[in-house]
Amino acid sequence: MPDGSFAHPQQRQFNPYSDNGGTILAIAGADFTVIAGDTRQSEGYSIQTRYAPKVFRLTDRAVLAVNGFAADGNMFVKKVKQRLEWYRHAHAKDMPLRAIARLIQTMLYAQRFFPYYVYNILGGIEEDGTGAVYSFDPVGSYEREACRAAGAAQSLVQPFLDNQIYFKNQKAAPGTTHPAHLPLSDVLSIVIDSFTSATERHIEVGDGLEIYVVVAQGRSPQGLDAFRGAQELSTQPNGDRMFIIRRELKKD
Amino acid sequence: MSIMEYNGGSVIAMVGKECVAIASDLRLGNQALGISSNFQKIFQMTDRIFLGLPGLATDVTTLKETFRFRVNMYTIKEERELEPETFAHMVSSALYERRFGPYFIEPVMCGLQKTHDGSYKPFIAATDLIGCLNFAKDFVVAGTASSKLFGVAEGLWEPDLEPEDLFETCAQTLLNAVDRDAYSGWGAEVYVLTKDKVIKRTLKGRMD
Amino acid sequence: MDISFALTGKGYVILASDTTAARSIVKMKVDEDKIKVLSPHLLMAYSGEPGDTVQFAEYIERNIRLYQIRNTYALRPPSAASWIRRTLADSLRSRKPYAVNLLIGGYDTSTHQPHLYWVDYLGTMSEVPFAAHGYGAYFALSLLDREDGLMSGSSYHDPEAPLEEGLKTLRRCLDEVAKRLVVTPEKYKVKVVDKDGVREIEI
Repeated sequence: MPDGSFAHPQQRQFNPYSDNGGTILAIAGADFTVIAGDTRQSEGYSIQTRYAPKVFRLTDRAVLAVNGFAADGNMFVKKVKQRLEWYRHAHAKDMPLRAIARLIQTMLYAQRFFPYYVYNILGGIEEDGTGAVYSFDPVGSYEREACRAAGAAQSLVQPFLDNQIYFKNQKAAPGTTHPAHLPLSDVLSIVIDSFTSATERHIEVGDGLEIYVVVAQGRSPQGLDAFRGAQELSTQPNGDRMFIIRRELKKD
Repeated sequence: MSIMEYNGGSVIAMVGKECVAIASDLRLGNQALGISSNFQKIFQMTDRIFLGLPGLATDVTTLKETFRFRVNMYTIKEERELEPETFAHMVSSALYERRFGPYFIEPVMCGLQKTHDGSYKPFIAATDLIGCLNFAKDFVVAGTASSKLFGVAEGLWEPDLEPEDLFETCAQTLLNAVDRDAYSGWGAEVYVLTKDKVIKRTLKGRMD
Repeated sequence: MDISFALTGKGYVILASDTTAARSIVKMKVDEDKIKVLSPHLLMAYSGEPGDTVQFAEYIERNIRLYQIRNTYALRPPSAASWIRRTLADSLRSRKPYAVNLLIGGYDTSTHQPHLYWVDYLGTMSEVPFAAHGYGAYFALSLLDREDGLMSGSSYHDPEAPLEEGLKTLRRCLDEVAKRLVVTPEKYKVKVVDKDGVREIEI
């Protein structure tokens, strides 16, 4: 209309969310935890970048993997890190892992009606020195587990982990039981196999793999320092030790 | 409500060393309600061909009957046994005949193909619901748990497995995949086909 | 919506169907027999779209009878069920499909085995130890699934149970529906097929 009004009702819409693909995964050992994620970031059929980290070091003994909508993920990690810094200033120590887990729940639930479109997996070392994995849904429901996969290839990886980590559908040899926790070398093999498998069959997974390993204080890193391409990130000489392993994944 | 997920069910076939395996769950459901824990989806077509039919259950039965009829007609007219590769094309044409009103089935098949020197070569194939063939070299999957089957199979399968190892790989792949799928499960069965025998095993699985 | 149950036991199949014929919220009839006797050893409980049900059931009934007249012998339960299923499956892809769900129970006089088939309007068929259609399925199937009948002597479902016990099991299903379903049918027609043929039982 000449006066600037419309003859017909108009509708406008804005979708504030997007899905950036990728997959994350964490496995807890008896005295270590492995947290991994691929580095491809995509939207639809387009790859935005082949290197966008989804796994972040929070403290000397806590690592957070975020998957889903990358913008929300990055902002969420930023805010968690900020809250952890405030905690350090107030209490002169790092926040314990289980407290970080609860913090993440409250931070996610605070956005209950406009959620961070992100699946979180928190891994690290508990105060008692055990390896721990906490997994979250976008609004903060969480649970401590021994292993969890999330993201685009969750449906490919999780049943494989059920089989290889929990020994589901497997019977132990007579007179033996299945181990509650696997040694680090086995866990690393399973993680790498999971990602190469997911890369093979899922278009949103690939390019690079970042594996964080947190080993409890005083425990042997089980030959990890000799592991090909393992880089130590530890800040203190006698604290928990943290390593990162980078691997290439197929780029097609 | 997807028609492909109305009854639930999954099938996988794998290649081994001079052998092939095919496995399926046994559930028949009406969406979330379980009706039967003994609904077979794998059918023997000839001595050396097995066919798995996951998808809409009415079409499972209809197609099983259709292919029994067509294989019999082929055998009588040609006076020779049907080869797996020929059968795959028979399946493909049968489905493509209904291109614009399809059977809601994604067939998975396996067999042993006779070669020129008289030995047998493992054969697997799958098609979509309108008959687009996929001749994979390693494994093929279909059904409501297909993404899970892909993930586990990709992690467990390796080339040249002996019959017993192939059975274990196939069984573990199926069991762990269907346990993460609400529409598949309720028991399972595995067939391993070698040049001189067929091994059928019914598996105990989670019943939830 | 109509409710029907069926279960097998040692040498018999029991079929039960409610007797109401409803249009919308109105009960038009309370003594409708919705179990057809197809042949001397074959029963069929039908439910679904009013109109389609009787039309389809009578078509099946006459054709099964015709087969028996032509061939002296009636079709055995597996063959009859296969033919009925195929009729529904073909109807599904026709211009006007029949919306009819069935429970087919029969006694095979050659092998002395009871057979029960669950069939829906799509032509889905499965041979089962017990079955149900309608809202009753949500209560009865879980009840019949229970496997601790050894404890009390009166089991939930046992394919080897004698007729009296099978009827008791059916009673539990009907009671459960009466207890938990919002709109409960007041009467059921119960028919049994075994080596002696077909008969109706008051329950």
